[in-house]
Amino acid sequence: MTGRLARTSSVLLSLLLPIISGCGTAGLDVHYPEARVNRTIMASAPPRRVEIAPVADRRMDTTRIGIRPKNEGDIVTSRPVADLVREALVLELSKNGHLVVSHERDAILAATVEDFRLDEVAGYASARYVARVVIALNIVDGRGGDILLTRRYVGIKRRDVDKPSDDARRETMDAALARTMHDLATDPELAKVLASVRTAATR
Amino acid sequence: MARSLPNRLVTGLALYLLWGMDRAIGLGVAMLFGWGCASSAPHPTPVARPFDDVHRVAIIVSGESTFAVAEDRVEPGRTFDEILKWHPYGGALRPVAKLVHRAINKVRDADQAATAARNVDGVSPGSTIARAMARTLEGSGEFNEIRILEREPSGEDRPRDDGALVRVTVPAWGVIRVREGDPDLVSGFADVQAQMVMGRTGVVVWDGSEDVTHPESAPLASFVRNRDFARETMIGLLERAGQRLANELLYARSAGR
Repeated sequence: MTGRLARTSSVLLSLLLPIISGCGTAGLDVHYPEARVNRTIMASAPPRRVEIAPVADRRMDTTRIGIRPKNEGDIVTSRPVADLVREALVLELSKNGHLVVSHERDAILAATVEDFRLDEVAGYASARYVARVVIALNIVDGRGGDILLTRRYVGIKRRDVDKPSDDARRETMDAALARTMHDLATDPELAKVLASVRTAATR
Repeated sequence: MARSLPNRLVTGLALYLLWGMDRAIGLGVAMLFGWGCASSAPHPTPVARPFDDVHRVAIIVSGESTFAVAEDRVEPGRTFDEILKWHPYGGALRPVAKLVHRAINKVRDADQAATAARNVDGVSPGSTIARAMARTLEGSGEFNEIRILEREPSGEDRPRDDGALVRVTVPAWGVIRVREGDPDLVSGFADVQAQMVMGRTGVVVWDGSEDVTHPESAPLASFVRNRDFARETMIGLLERAGQRLANELLYARSAGR
């Protein structure tokens, strides 16, 4: 009887442990909030039909975005990083008056994720998060296939917290992604190139 | 041996300070209450309105900037915690241990901070940020006029109806630990704030605050021993801070439209 109770307890414990320790969580729900997307310099280009090529994830390690302190497991996002970046690009283009299409495009936007990482630095009474998002971008002529512009956008957010938490980790990553997208959306060169692409009407 | 001696000194100092502090609990608690009284409630963030009708911007730098080396080590604090576990007043002494930890590390960092600060002698964080911000705003083509003011505007210098004043402050800049390792890696950092007020009315239309960190990191020794590297990195960081402030200002310009 005692043996059976012990076995049952160990099974229950093994099921509960990952949940208690947080390892059973689905990952950080990093996202780029639509409500905070503004019309900005990118809107100075006339509306264009833009195709977003599949976002390439060229990070050295694509299985995680960081490691929890004391080897307590990987930090991962709930959705693939490439999808998060694509969503952010779609939101910025749409809000700025451009149409995201899959055919008859004026331009192709080809993005590569070079870094999407959260470093956690333990202090004595606090923890420091440093989130880093690096996106390389090519604007390609929709008809000819020439590369019209190559840019690299780097967003970094640093934050000190008294108590480490997944909410704080997510917010730090959100902020780094937002900074990257804000740099992109306010880049006058990008707007200039979008304005200069040949459209169906100008070909 | 050479490395263990300072550690032993620190641990010895820690033990001396902590075990001798039983009678200082009351004082420590009173000090903490005192600090609590001095702290102010957070300022409410003003609600921004679109300011795409602003076509002339004057930038002015104000306030003092402190160069700091923030390594934020875990020791000797962790050792204190180990000791306090067995101390009868361990819980009550913990806030005091935090203060002692901070004080010891401040003393430890002082020499390196002084040397690193000498390496960036003559670099004005506020002016460098203001120039980079002005260049970025000019490059956007969204404004008719961007000026950097040396002093508070008066008379003809005052912004017109379509003008605004951006006040930039850099409370802290320096190097900060960004990755654990052997050695730990540090990056240049600048904490910057900016507020845009309408020239005639003084209405705040934008309030920006940026923690800017250099994308590259290096051991602290590089900032202390290599003057050219330190200067180049920190100037690059300050220019990045100016661009970031400008980009956030541009991004917020037509918010809500």
